Amino acid sequence: MPVIQTIQLTKNFGKATALAGVDLSVKEGEVHAFLGPNGAGKSTTIRCLLGILRATSGTVQIFGQDAWKNSVELHKRLAYVPGDVNLWDNLTGGEVIDLFMSMRGKGNSDEAARREKFLQRFELDPAKKCRTYSKGNRQKVALVAAFASDVELYILDEPTSGLDPLLEKVFTDCVLEIKKAGKTVLLSSHIMSEVEKLADRVSIIKEGKVVLNGTMSEISARGKTLEELFLSEYERRA
Amino acid sequence: MFANFPGFLRFLVRRERMTSVIWLAAMSISAVVIASLFPGILPTEEAMQGMALTLNSPAMVAMMGPVYGLDALNPAIVMAEECLIWFGIASIIMNVFFINRHTRVDEELGRDEMLAALPTGRMTGATAAITGALALNIAISLLTFLLLSIFGIEGVTLSGSFVYAFSIGMTGFVFAAATLLFAQLFSTARGVTGAAFAFMGLSYIIRAYGDMSNSSVSLISPMGLGLKVEAFYSDRVWPIIILFIEGLVISAIALAICSVRDVGAGIIPAGKGKSHASRFLKSPLGLAWRLTRGGTIGWAIGMVAIGLSYGSVIGELETFVQGNDTIRMMLEGRGGASSLAEGYLAMLAAIMSLIAAIPLVLTVNRLHGEEKRGRMEQISALSIPRDRLLVAFTILAVIQAFAMPVLYVLGLYAAVGNTGILPFGMIMQASLAYIPALLLMVGLAVVLSGYAPKFISLIWAVFAFSFFTFYFGRLTELPEWVSHISPFDNIPQIPVEEFSAVPLVILCVIAAATFVAGFAGYKKRDLL
Repeated sequence: MPVIQTIQLTKNFGKATALAGVDLSVKEGEVHAFLGPNGAGKSTTIRCLLGILRATSGTVQIFGQDAWKNSVELHKRLAYVPGDVNLWDNLTGGEVIDLFMSMRGKGNSDEAARREKFLQRFELDPAKKCRTYSKGNRQKVALVAAFASDVELYILDEPTSGLDPLLEKVFTDCVLEIKKAGKTVLLSSHIMSEVEKLADRVSIIKEGKVVLNGTMSEISARGKTLEELFLSEYERRA
Repeated sequence: MFANFPGFLRFLVRRERMTSVIWLAAMSISAVVIASLFPGILPTEEAMQGMALTLNSPAMVAMMGPVYGLDALNPAIVMAEECLIWFGIASIIMNVFFINRHTRVDEELGRDEMLAALPTGRMTGATAAITGALALNIAISLLTFLLLSIFGIEGVTLSGSFVYAFSIGMTGFVFAAATLLFAQLFSTARGVTGAAFAFMGLSYIIRAYGDMSNSSVSLISPMGLGLKVEAFYSDRVWPIIILFIEGLVISAIALAICSVRDVGAGIIPAGKGKSHASRFLKSPLGLAWRLTRGGTIGWAIGMVAIGLSYGSVIGELETFVQGNDTIRMMLEGRGGASSLAEGYLAMLAAIMSLIAAIPLVLTVNRLHGEEKRGRMEQISALSIPRDRLLVAFTILAVIQAFAMPVLYVLGLYAAVGNTGILPFGMIMQASLAYIPALLLMVGLAVVLSGYAPKFISLIWAVFAFSFFTFYFGRLTELPEWVSHISPFDNIPQIPVEEFSAVPLVILCVIAAATFVAGFAGYKKRDLL
């Protein structure tokens, strides 16, 4: 059973169609890259997966359960990092991390130790107020809160926007570690080199539909880089 | 649906520990302080009768609500008649912002998305917000009730304090619920605030109409219902209970909508804007105007409205002042007016110009707000001189310095015009004489923007000082040089005092110097 499964997922906002039948399948233990330009429907798909948006039609399942109906139970088993992190001005980064982790409600004894470890790895000062953080630092708050949680699925929506190359390296290492631990990752990204390093499988979305789905080895067998493939998919106009 | 509610509530309390505590203290303490002043303002039976008569005029009833208890007047009754509505309004404002900040603002900024990705129920956030608002309203009511009842203020009873305090809290709760509903309907935080305050305006107007015609129409309006407690006289509890039930019903409707809608979406879609900037917007002045437009228009309407309402009471002045030495002293001021109306005009012109200073200062300070949010970086990177946007905001403030006094003169004259008590020319002269003081206030704000942006709020200290010298300078004999520090105190108080051009010219010269200095300073300093 796939960890994430959408079948003919559609989502309309009024008359506008954002998703026109997305078929996405993410297997357990894989890092699944989710590519597509701005406005293709990546974030909308992810929001449907999180039960934040209600699908107009189609099936949306995580761990075999309906993502809208069972959102509370499902969210105990996943962590989410958005691409544009906004935080509460008068709280400190450390407070926000604790808040997210406690509301996820695992309370494993080693989560505190993991929190410290990831704070150090991402070089984040948790005692600063969120209003003083730069974009990169706010991103780190969300990343630390996610990685420090002991969950089965990580949904990361352009998680490295705003990070410098050193921290991007830290991020890459973190993802490889959780992959080694058998966790599943859905990674939406614009950074092809990052995807090439991390992904086992790639889905490319275009105008609300998945137009290409394959493993990294299948793609390299075509003799093309990921970037060439991505561009050729998009330049092929209907 | 409500999963993780305790966690959410704890988070809300953590976020609120500053703002709400300040509201709690400010509301309850000021309620008590104001109540304790009334026995002093109304020392005699005649003074109370005079005040009640004034309050009973149609314009005052429209503004502050019905008058009751004329057969058993005491200072507490008059206080409630005059103050309850303003505390109700303050409570409404607090509740609108409280709910909006915990619902649509979070949603608009995408913070809500991270919370929604946690194991929380779909209605948890909204339920926590309305629960928090209810708790805050009850806390304010209880503290106000306790403080009011322990000081033994003349006329203040236990049951009266109770209905007075809970009328404030429950009126606020209804608007918290209404804001929660609007937060489901509108997809932007601005839309929610706009709708909530439009609802407040509507219920104020319905109440004013109902109270003036002495009909039960007022009961439809939550604000009208809140005043029906008749604190310190009838001490009715039923309006409070109805308000509470109304709040619960509206909250339930809002939560029902919340449970089925998408995060980030509203039922009423956000309107589309223009895809091109107009010619005017493409200049610094155009940008400055767009950024301040809404506020300026609001203040302009406010100036006319205040002029109208102050003007409408001018006929009742004699009765109002009878037997009240404090107010007589304030009205007659330094010179000794030839008529009460003239003294009143001199005082009004001063108050109104102080109020008019607020939008001017807000306009200049807007630049600092833009700087702090980092939006000036992009403007500074364009090929326009550094100080151009400061100049633009200053130009707008200067225009307002002329426009705002004219607007309230028009309002005032519209209200007193046909009584013939005050000629138009006299009103105009008395009010427009303050323009140089307003210009100096603009200039001081410009200097602070130019040299000491960190201390920009010092301008409000100048403002507060001016207010203080105006109000108390007449009652307590301040040394003249102290009160002259206030720009407003250097203006001749027409018609009580003679017109004299010299101080006006001096103020204008100082104002011009502050503009030049401020612009020069802004060119030289680092951006924030």
